[in-house]
Amino acid sequence: MLKFDHVTFSYPDEDRDAKHATIKDLSFEIKKGEFVALIGSNGAGKSTISRLANGLLLPDSGHVFVDGEDTTKVRTSAIAKKVGFLFQNPDRQICQNTVEEEIAFGPKVQGVDPEEVKKRTAEALETFELKGDWFPFNRSRGERQRIALASVLVCQPQMVILDEPTTGLDYKECIRIMDYITRLNKEQGLTVLMVSHDMELVQEYASRVMVLTDGRLVGEGPTNTIMKNMEILKQAHVLPAQIPMLAMRFGDRFADVYTVEEMTEAIRGGVQK
Amino acid sequence: MNLLDYVPGDSFLHKLNPVTKLAAAFLYGIACILSNNVLMEAALIVLMILISSLAGLQKRALHLTKNLFVLGFIMFVLQLLFVRDGDPLFVIGAFCVFTTGGLSSALLMSFRIVATMLPLMLLFAITQMNDLCGALVKRLHVPYRYAFIVTTAFRFVPLFTTEFHDIEDAQKARGVEYDTKNIFKKIGLIVPLFVPLLISSLKKVDSGAMSAQLRGFHLRTVSSGYHEYPFHANDAVCLVCMALLIFVAVIL
Repeated sequence: MLKFDHVTFSYPDEDRDAKHATIKDLSFEIKKGEFVALIGSNGAGKSTISRLANGLLLPDSGHVFVDGEDTTKVRTSAIAKKVGFLFQNPDRQICQNTVEEEIAFGPKVQGVDPEEVKKRTAEALETFELKGDWFPFNRSRGERQRIALASVLVCQPQMVILDEPTTGLDYKECIRIMDYITRLNKEQGLTVLMVSHDMELVQEYASRVMVLTDGRLVGEGPTNTIMKNMEILKQAHVLPAQIPMLAMRFGDRFADVYTVEEMTEAIRGGVQK
Repeated sequence: MNLLDYVPGDSFLHKLNPVTKLAAAFLYGIACILSNNVLMEAALIVLMILISSLAGLQKRALHLTKNLFVLGFIMFVLQLLFVRDGDPLFVIGAFCVFTTGGLSSALLMSFRIVATMLPLMLLFAITQMNDLCGALVKRLHVPYRYAFIVTTAFRFVPLFTTEFHDIEDAQKARGVEYDTKNIFKKIGLIVPLFVPLLISSLKKVDSGAMSAQLRGFHLRTVSSGYHEYPFHANDAVCLVCMALLIFVAVIL
């Protein structure tokens, strides 16, 4: 679905600041239906990669393929039909007077048939528990993020990129958003690339993790393997999620423990012995 | 390179009093407006570039000059086509495209606009906004409130540019075709850009005003700042030079 082939990228001089790293000779592939998390400290290049993945930025050398198409050869607006992008800040995309118009806006500019747009919008309003006649600008942060997500998913993309989707959301909103995404991932094979530094979130939802430091991949693999590989995580200046970390401290008998349930089981077993 | 950014340095120009710098830039501009000679205007542009090279700003000055000449060129074309004095110089059939008067006026105006704007734009390269604001309040007793409005307006320019680009990206990512080549289509797509920009600016202004208030903005007067902005001999020399320049410009 998404393939980076020896991609190198650096920002032009004027834009370069501590926040953005350059990407150096990066290659990886994400297959259809995967849920991949991209982790790394601030400035490692996570956001840059997510912008390269939908053609907002173009590589200096190397190629980025979205569904087999080279991003340098197709327009960003064409890629947008396949790849949805949820930004950290929903306020940058909300531009219509009502929530209903806002959600319908995406498919409308992409040229979806008006009847179909109406149908999809109604569905989206229901799934995301939004009211069509709300004025979107003064809703709460969580609701605005949900509006943004709804207007991304209503375009029925094959893949979504989530750029720190849960920043500034409370736990309830966070779970709500992640549950929608997971459901689509499991039921409809939606490919997900999540950029995050919330390791709890990564542990709970992602099936594969890529670790990024200074624009290079220092490790990738199944979430559970990476989560217990202190060496790789240390390079990226992140700590594992708390349960796997605790399990590591307890030693070998807790080797397969990653979730609260597994931890409870393991401790109960130990006590009973 | 942002054309209005401050370039740090400790040259003769940097060390002038901010009020002097502002006055000098204006006087230089007045000299350019008063001058009625194309060669003099050209000389004023070259002189300005030389002066800025004293502060190590030659690159910026050349870059600015180049960009201002784009504006100058538009001015040139307009003047050339609309000023009808003098003898016909270029005639196609029965239609006179431009005249001698048009040509000389066009040359003069295009050089003048560059020469006038150059010093004002270079002012920002050698003056920090805070200093300018402080000096205006301390020396000229401009109410802080008004000095603040001006400096804040300039401070917001780069912020808005960044925000604008981010919004454009966000809209592109959902399939709005800003990359379309059809210009009429592009104009119709302006709403998704400006509504978020307007909303975010209003929010920013709102929170900015609140934090200013929390820090006692309304209490601030001339006596609130410790920084002094004394005038030195150099300032006087600079202003005298500018007065001479105006004199020369009027004579020639």
